[in-house]
Amino acid sequence: MLQVIKSVLAAFLGVQSEKNRQQDFQSRSPWPFIVTGVVMTLVFVLVVASVARWAAS
Amino acid sequence: MHSLLPFGRWLLVLCVIFASQVQAAAINTSSGWNLPPGVTSISQEIFSLHMIIFWICVAIAVVVFGVMFWSLFAYRKSKGAKPANFHENTTVEVIWTAVPLLILIAMAIPATATLKKIYDTSDADIDILVTGYQWRWHYQYVEEDLSFFSNLGTPRSQILGEEDKGDFYLLEVDNPLVVPVGKKIRFLFTSNDVIHAWWVPDLAIKKDTIPGFINESWTIIDEPGTYRGQCAELCGRDHAYMPIEVRAVSQETYDEWLEEQRQMLAEDAAGSQREWTMDELMDRGKGVYNTYCAACHQADGSGMPPAFPALKNNPMMITEEGRDAHIDAVLYGRSGTSMPAYSGTLSVADIAAVITYERNAWGNDAGDRVQPSEISEMLSDD
Amino acid sequence: MVPELPPRPDKHQAISDTAAGGSAVDQGGHHHEQPTGLLRWLLTTNHKEIGTLYMLFALLMFFIGGTMALIVRAELFQPGMTFVVPEFFNQMTTMHGLIMVFGAIMPAFVGLANWLIPVQIGAPDMALPRLNNFSFWLLPVSFTILLSTLFMEGGGPNFGWTFYAPLSTTYGPPSTSFFILAMHLAGISSILGAINIIATILNLRTPNMRLMDMPLFVWTWLITAFLLIAVMPVLAGVITMMLLDINFGTSFFDAAGGGDPVLFQHLFWFFGHPEVYIMILPAFGIVSAIVPTFARKRLFGYASMVYATASIALLSFVVWAHHMFTVGLPLTAQLFFMYSTMLIAVPTGVKVFNWIATLFRGSISFELPMLFSLAFIVQFTIGGLSGVMLAIAPVDFQYHDTYFVVAHFHYVLVPGAVFAILAAAYYWLPKWSGVYPNVKLGLAHFWLSVIGVNLTFFPMHFSGLAGMPRRIPDYALQFADFNMLSSIGGFLFGISQLLFVAVIVLCIRKKGEKAPAQAWEGAEGLEWQLPSPAPLHTFDTPPEFIPERDSPSRH
Repeated sequence: MLQVIKSVLAAFLGVQSEKNRQQDFQSRSPWPFIVTGVVMTLVFVLVVASVARWAAS
Repeated sequence: MHSLLPFGRWLLVLCVIFASQVQAAAINTSSGWNLPPGVTSISQEIFSLHMIIFWICVAIAVVVFGVMFWSLFAYRKSKGAKPANFHENTTVEVIWTAVPLLILIAMAIPATATLKKIYDTSDADIDILVTGYQWRWHYQYVEEDLSFFSNLGTPRSQILGEEDKGDFYLLEVDNPLVVPVGKKIRFLFTSNDVIHAWWVPDLAIKKDTIPGFINESWTIIDEPGTYRGQCAELCGRDHAYMPIEVRAVSQETYDEWLEEQRQMLAEDAAGSQREWTMDELMDRGKGVYNTYCAACHQADGSGMPPAFPALKNNPMMITEEGRDAHIDAVLYGRSGTSMPAYSGTLSVADIAAVITYERNAWGNDAGDRVQPSEISEMLSDD
Repeated sequence: MVPELPPRPDKHQAISDTAAGGSAVDQGGHHHEQPTGLLRWLLTTNHKEIGTLYMLFALLMFFIGGTMALIVRAELFQPGMTFVVPEFFNQMTTMHGLIMVFGAIMPAFVGLANWLIPVQIGAPDMALPRLNNFSFWLLPVSFTILLSTLFMEGGGPNFGWTFYAPLSTTYGPPSTSFFILAMHLAGISSILGAINIIATILNLRTPNMRLMDMPLFVWTWLITAFLLIAVMPVLAGVITMMLLDINFGTSFFDAAGGGDPVLFQHLFWFFGHPEVYIMILPAFGIVSAIVPTFARKRLFGYASMVYATASIALLSFVVWAHHMFTVGLPLTAQLFFMYSTMLIAVPTGVKVFNWIATLFRGSISFELPMLFSLAFIVQFTIGGLSGVMLAIAPVDFQYHDTYFVVAHFHYVLVPGAVFAILAAAYYWLPKWSGVYPNVKLGLAHFWLSVIGVNLTFFPMHFSGLAGMPRRIPDYALQFADFNMLSSIGGFLFGISQLLFVAVIVLCIRKKGEKAPAQAWEGAEGLEWQLPSPAPLHTFDTPPEFIPERDSPSRH
């Protein structure tokens, strides 16, 4: 699971090493990545929103 | 495979382009090619943010293009460069991702601070309601019971090139907004028709005026002077012709100006009751016509058919029978056309004068006068 | 280390069989008599012919939209109303924007996708050939309607390509409903095209080609197609709401009826911002194909490029209100969109760094496609940097709706996207036509374009900072010098595009050096295994693809 989160974070930054990528693509199903990606996107939006809220107060 | 342009020439041409751009930057120094620092603490903060981010971008460009052009020069095939075989380096990639991220976070902090100041509209000394109209500004001094329209002051002859253009071509108005220096002024923005945007660069205020919404902004002007701006949101045909002129004056001058305005209002009110002569009406009517009507119906009344009908020899304007329809069209507009209603825009004296003018100018010979009292009676009947 | 390949699912074979079966009608067709002349083009279901049609259509629209831009520049050559009336000026700026966005840049990219995606993934055709034909022929209909509005009473659209309500609804010209119809047709065409591209990429790859083995152009188009499917319906929704406001008495955007003009802008930009990336992501794919070829070195950070593209696409959905910093958003919203906009600059920057790292220690030569690609990198970066400046909300109050913004997005779209399209044309013309583009004409085209485009758009930064609002037909005297430069540059750029037409005509008439299958020494990819010109039907049997040897992500 940690590996999946790390890979999704790497995708957010747009940087991924070939080794980790190969490891990801050994996985049988893409679904953990897709679900984690969607969740992390929501988390990302919430984080930016709460930073904005905090900065505005 | 292909004949190639020698690299030296390639570089030379690039230098020429770059030089032409630097020169382009230098051409207009007298009238400026950068943001104005402006005359308020906010505008100066914005200016310094602008300069910081500008130099950061220049630095990034120098580094990135430096590496790029050096690579193009050093590893060109014509000098026998052999390609290396690497295609990834995670450390380097993380660094070049993290560095811009840190720069941007560093930029976000002062930007946030400035933005918070801009949003703090509390404790204003003066409130001014700015309303956008196609294509003029209306200013209402909320505490003073004073309001007026501000129209383009540049004569059409300058726009059409029949006359030399003045120094403040398209940046001058008939009635400027007058405000005192050193006071916190809160602007409230709304619109009567489409979206406009009220922009004065020296005050660093640009706010959309939106029908049905009221936006806010504020300023404290430190230095007396005249500050000019323009509508910044496409609002139709005469978008280019609704400038803004803000005159910042000392408190005494401002008080005197307010007094003057009140007197003028009182005179206007008295004027709407008395009988006007033909000359008075024609004289005033011509001014009103050129400001409000000439853009569509043309200064000589010839119009631009079919969108904007000619007024010259218009049956409505040369016969007694057309008189009521004529007054009605000016007061309430023509639905389904771009003719707006002027009952809320112009004073009764202005309306009477402009109708009289239209009935008696350019060879129109209705010969009758429309008195301000007649108009105010019609309006009070409603 | 050679990774163990995941077993290919059996259903792939089934799917590609069906797909092949689907196009078998067409495939079988070449035994029968082919329609000739106009009917051939009207009825074609061949991806290469449709790709050609798309690109020729885009070229025609590029010239129509360009002529409108030159009318605008002619009026702005000097202050004063000198050449056209303001009503017509507004129609020209609006139509120029609409035609260039929806009629030139997008169809050019779809045309490239049609031509290249099947040959880059080893597919016999697009997955849905008849749909392909339909989505192309919607475009001429759409743009004929759009252009015809210019001749209607009251004129064509005059409210800017962003068509903000209520200027476009309550105050719009009577032809607005035709404009809405035209946009609907163009939108349907885009959605169908995107569906086709996704279906092709996901189903018709040659055996053994995994997603991470695809060329970057295919990757960027896959992501672009998802963006299109996500946002074109939003555009369709917003123009339908306009249609209802105009014709059926609703008040979605009319404040007098309780509507909300700001809602229009939120909806428009929720479509509009991803649209910006729709117009640039395929350009990234093109440049990522060309730079490695002429640096004779593999693309640096293939995986990162794919991830960065996906990341840009996701982020592009949460930055839309940076187009609306002056509408009076609450402070928190203002900050949110400022931060998210600054963040999207990071993966975009990563791409530029990757291209430069690809050049670093390569063996670089400067053929025509490479020249256009290098110019793209420099000029797109200039546009990107001014974009970072625009992201800073308080400073944007000074930039917003000025020529600084005009300079910014033109730098991204003209010396950016258009240069990438030109690079693609010079790169793949040998494959399409069988002959190399004329080098002398091409070099003249390149240099005149570079000089013209920068002379046009660089001074706009200064006129904008000095205070010139956009979309005005007449301006104050202090902007005169910069405008004169921009107009001269505009005409230079516009006229030099005729050289490009000459280059294409020569290629079509097979005048020039004959190209071998492998037209460029360092080029990689399945398309270079095909003879030049590529025959009408290719890869009827899937080509061999060995990831360890052919994949752009191999070790």
